[in-house]
Amino acid sequence: MESRLKQVLAMNLAAVFARAGVRVKASFRESSWVIGETIFPFLSMSAFVLVYRGLHAPREYEGFVVLGGAMIAYWNNVIWGMASQFFWEREQGQLQLYLITPVSRMSILIGMALGGIAMTTTRAAAILIGGMLLFHVELPLSRALPAFGLFLLTLGAAYSLGMILSSLFLLWGREVWHTATILQEPIYLFSGFYFPVSAMGAAVAIAGSILPVTLGLDGIRQVFYGKAAHGLLPLAWIPPIQVALTLVFLLVASVMLRYMENLGKHEGRLTVRGD
Amino acid sequence: MKRLARVLRASAWLGWQVEANWADPLLFLIYAIAKPLATTLILFFMVKIVSQGNATGETFRFIFIGNTFFIYVTEVLIGISWTVFRDREDYETLKYIYVAPMRLLPYLLGRAFTRVGTATVGVVVALLFGRLVLGLSIGATATNWLLLVAAVALGLVGVLWLGIILAGTSLVVARHSMNLNEGLSGLFYLLCGAVFPLDVLPAWARSISLALPFTYWLELLRRLLTGRGFAASLSGMTDADLWKVIALATVGLCALAILWFGWCERVARDRGLIDWKTNY
Repeated sequence: MESRLKQVLAMNLAAVFARAGVRVKASFRESSWVIGETIFPFLSMSAFVLVYRGLHAPREYEGFVVLGGAMIAYWNNVIWGMASQFFWEREQGQLQLYLITPVSRMSILIGMALGGIAMTTTRAAAILIGGMLLFHVELPLSRALPAFGLFLLTLGAAYSLGMILSSLFLLWGREVWHTATILQEPIYLFSGFYFPVSAMGAAVAIAGSILPVTLGLDGIRQVFYGKAAHGLLPLAWIPPIQVALTLVFLLVASVMLRYMENLGKHEGRLTVRGD
Repeated sequence: MKRLARVLRASAWLGWQVEANWADPLLFLIYAIAKPLATTLILFFMVKIVSQGNATGETFRFIFIGNTFFIYVTEVLIGISWTVFRDREDYETLKYIYVAPMRLLPYLLGRAFTRVGTATVGVVVALLFGRLVLGLSIGATATNWLLLVAAVALGLVGVLWLGIILAGTSLVVARHSMNLNEGLSGLFYLLCGAVFPLDVLPAWARSISLALPFTYWLELLRRLLTGRGFAASLSGMTDADLWKVIALATVGLCALAILWFGWCERVARDRGLIDWKTNY
């Protein structure tokens, strides 16, 4: 019994590392990708720093937008690299290969998440380092450790949400593309990627806090800038909320994945190609 | 000419089907306008909250106009190059289109018309939103609306040819190089002064900005809609100068696009890249 459990664990861990490995290797295989993943997102973020300068905004707002730019990179990875991934796999005729393997779907998704985080960290690091070096954005590094802890909790919750979305996207057709797009700019707005979410009013801000990136970003800004961050919730509340969200999202994702897979089998929607 | 028109019409229709036939028109409209509206609101809150009273309503009007018309650049530029990747790798139809009795370039131009259509819906809705919800005055008493439509159309032709240059590049690069195309759009957003006055840019970046046709295009559109300019760096230029620069740049882009696309097409065929799959 014990050896069986060990075998299952080892197999699932191997699946996690294998799926993550594909992403990490693919990220560095093409030099154009590395450039695209670092320089260009930095340039987009620079546009907003320059807008703030043009508007004569207080300096800490430039820090807000740099942190927001880094978090956007992860959110986009959740949308395009997690939520939509099973859709792409199905399009390529690869989904059925995942489904016939003796590993949990969650292991494959965790592998995707870890690989995606590794991939995206290059992009986020370019934004943060570029912002600090070129625009002299002030990020008090003495507070980096608690901010990093909160950042990890945020990633856990955000990628767990990505797993729920991936189960939904599993059965969709071309609306996936448009849905993923709709989860970008509107989310940038309601999650306060570019300015404190509290500025939009308590009702909108609390509604936006359903997304872990909203609260995570709000908390990280509070860690770095204190009261100037115009936080939505007291900082002490945010870590337990993120942990709770992670647990709930993981549970929901596991139920949803099973449900959607069964539904897909019944409706014959798990394959779109003959190969 | 008649044949060209048929190819353009057929590929535009195909583009519309690919983009929109999965949903009813209302749902598709919601998807099409969500992005421009969200971007407008992001900028609205930015100006309202971030500037803390330093920015005037007039500043927001200029930012709003630049951002709204920039929708054309992102949608069309990225849309054309995505067509190559989607047809080549997702639908695996590029090879069949290639062997059909038509040229690839007009086919891609036709496909871009759908993007122009959806971008136009986004622009019009954003302008209406600005006028009716945000209370911005869109258009001055002296605004010549026909001239505005002509200016938009001229700029769009330039965007289309630049899109063809990117589509040519897409024929010879792997799918994930899409980041480069998206990044280029971000670069233009930064350098064309779409959402801030050019004068905020450091001198070296301003020189690059002044070499880009879209900088002049956005300035002309702002002048036509508000009656005055936004970028101090362009204050020495008359409206006629701006028209000339945009027209010349469009002709230049057209010539460059035809040459570049032809070369990329030859390379793609030589290296067997027409049915390349890189979506791993």
